[in-house]
Amino acid sequence: MNKKTKRYNGGRDPDEKFEASMIGKIALFLGPFMLGIVIFTIYPFINAFLMSFKENFSILRNTFSGWGLANYRKVLNDPIFLSGLKTTIKYVVIVVPISLIISIVIAVLLNNTRRFKAILQTAYFMPLVTSTAAISLVFRFIFANEGGLINKIITTLGQTQINFLGTNRWSEFVLYIFGIWNILPFTIILLLAGLQNIDPQYYTAAKVDGAKTLDIFTNITVPLLSPTIALVAIVNSISAFKVFDYVFQLYNKPGPGYNLYTIIYYIYEKFGGTKPQYGYAAAASIVLFFIIAVFTLLQRVLQKKTNY
Amino acid sequence: MEVRIEDLVKRFDDVIAVNKVNATFESGKLIALLGPSGCGKSTMLNMLSGIMPVTEGKIYFDDRDVTMLSPDKREVGLVFQNYALYPHMSVLENICFPLKIKRVPKAERIEKAKEYARMVHIDDYLDRLPKELSGGQQQRVAIARALVKQPKLLLLDEPLSNLDAKLRVEMREEIRRIQRESGVTTVFVTHDQEEATSISDYIMLMKLGVKQQFAKTRNLYNDPANLFVADFIGNPTINQLHGIYEKGNFRPDAYENAIPIGRYQIEDGSRVVFASRPESVIVEKKNGKTVMEVEETYVSGKDTLCVLKAGDGRLRAYVDNDSAPQEKDLVSVSFRDRGVFVFNEESGERYYE
Ligand SMILES: Nc1ncnc2c1ncn2[C@@H]1O[C@H](COP(=O)(O)OP(=O)(O)OP(=O)(O)O)[C@@H](O)[C@H]1O
Ligand SMILES: [Mg+2]
Repeated sequence: MNKKTKRYNGGRDPDEKFEASMIGKIALFLGPFMLGIVIFTIYPFINAFLMSFKENFSILRNTFSGWGLANYRKVLNDPIFLSGLKTTIKYVVIVVPISLIISIVIAVLLNNTRRFKAILQTAYFMPLVTSTAAISLVFRFIFANEGGLINKIITTLGQTQINFLGTNRWSEFVLYIFGIWNILPFTIILLLAGLQNIDPQYYTAAKVDGAKTLDIFTNITVPLLSPTIALVAIVNSISAFKVFDYVFQLYNKPGPGYNLYTIIYYIYEKFGGTKPQYGYAAAASIVLFFIIAVFTLLQRVLQKKTNY
Repeated sequence: MEVRIEDLVKRFDDVIAVNKVNATFESGKLIALLGPSGCGKSTMLNMLSGIMPVTEGKIYFDDRDVTMLSPDKREVGLVFQNYALYPHMSVLENICFPLKIKRVPKAERIEKAKEYARMVHIDDYLDRLPKELSGGQQQRVAIARALVKQPKLLLLDEPLSNLDAKLRVEMREEIRRIQRESGVTTVFVTHDQEEATSISDYIMLMKLGVKQQFAKTRNLYNDPANLFVADFIGNPTINQLHGIYEKGNFRPDAYENAIPIGRYQIEDGSRVVFASRPESVIVEKKNGKTVMEVEETYVSGKDTLCVLKAGDGRLRAYVDNDSAPQEKDLVSVSFRDRGVFVFNEESGERYYE
């Protein structure tokens, strides 16, 4: 075999012995990692999937009465699950778009200013490097009843203080702010990366074509950023559907009046508690899995559509 | 619209990209900005479009001082070297964009965009995205987008450099046609002298930010201001022999015979460059005053060129194909009046008769 045909082999060496030893090495390096994935991701997933179809399943005795859709029927008719679904969707619909809009504005401003860059970078990086548990403490301090920062300001202004963390309406509001706040840095960083990929010549061309700052933002920046925007929106939606830790960290329970009971909370409670119902928990997990799968597919489609 | 630049200077930190350039671009003409890479052509164009602020000097559009005006107020169309078509917009949307910005009603702007698309022969591709077009088609779209707002000045920055040789020749004729049809004052940047001479009315030749000559295209060839211009324009390049001027004669280095060239205003004994266009060198087989040896004869296209030895120097001359002299032949050489110049060897300045 001459050199030329070797090169057309896609860079691979046709020597089979060599390839075999390579595979051995690859297996050696990847093995532990793959084993971890199999044990902690794939096996539990398959197990949960199977579990969701086992009727009257008991994990201690590992018995079940038969295969079927009873768990799904129960879960999808469970008003607690449905209200959890509603709460979750409301969270996604509010937090994702608002954080996205704020992030786009901040990212574009950051991309355009050379001044203050260091300060601003610290500012938007902070939530990323600080644990959400610590941030939740700060939030609880800010919104606390007695001595809380905002309530201090409110009372100084002569108004009656607001029970942010103790009432349904306000606790929801605090959760949204907390969610938006936490999602911003990641979103801004991705958008900034997207902005750096836009050739500045398009801005120059638009300027010569007579466009002002706002025209450029709406006609050039946003459309050219749309692949990143789509990606971020989907990734954020997926993570927002799994919201649980923010609620837990702020309130130690699903909100002051069980009003912030999300899907994951449902799954969490069905798996644990005094009377665990593993079948229901598994079925609810699979339902959430399919919701997220739909978003993942949507992301694929959008990515293709906005590929210039 | 007439464009006038006065003492235009652009300085970047330690580089002077454009140095005290003065010129008037006549209305409706096609002007080529020509020069080697890095001579400040793009910088000049960017200052005309308003993308780049000027360091010193003034720019006038007709009698209006536009030096400090931002690009959106200058009414110029700019075609970038790589076209910079908006990748997310179709051909039609790209051409419509300047009108959309001007808030022209939708129906009107589409009609207008289509009109210009027809003019540049791109009307079959209106729904395509830029990435689905060839380089030549993209260029047409870029020109249509620059023209649709009916600019007072059209600026093109090396628009043909991305195209293959054949398309390049086709497209420069297209640009010429479009420019004639629209009648817009046009400045065209190129580093290719052949491209510049084949399409422009005027050429401004630059070197290291300094204007070398700004003249009618023909005159640049027939009447170069200095050695740089004479050398830059013309293919094959102008013959150059180094030597000494003495009483109407030129003595090339290491060549025993003097070449009679007539009276110039030069001190005897000065070192000069004697330059002659290949078509101005007359080669005859008979005996004459100036005899040179033929080094090589070769055919280039429809022409036959003969390379002659004159001491250390070489002369290229067009000869008649049928009676072309052969290698090692001794021939008699004389020069026509046209296309023969004498320059100061050191400064490159031209001497006149
Ligand atoms: N932004 C800049 N900062 C510093 N120097 C610059 C800048 N832009 C151009 N220059 C310098 O100015 C000079 C002229 O550059 P310019 O781009 O105008 O050349 P050009 O004639 O267009 O060359 P080319 O044919 O290669 O495009 C060069 O020496 C270049 O290095
Ligand atoms: Mg250039």
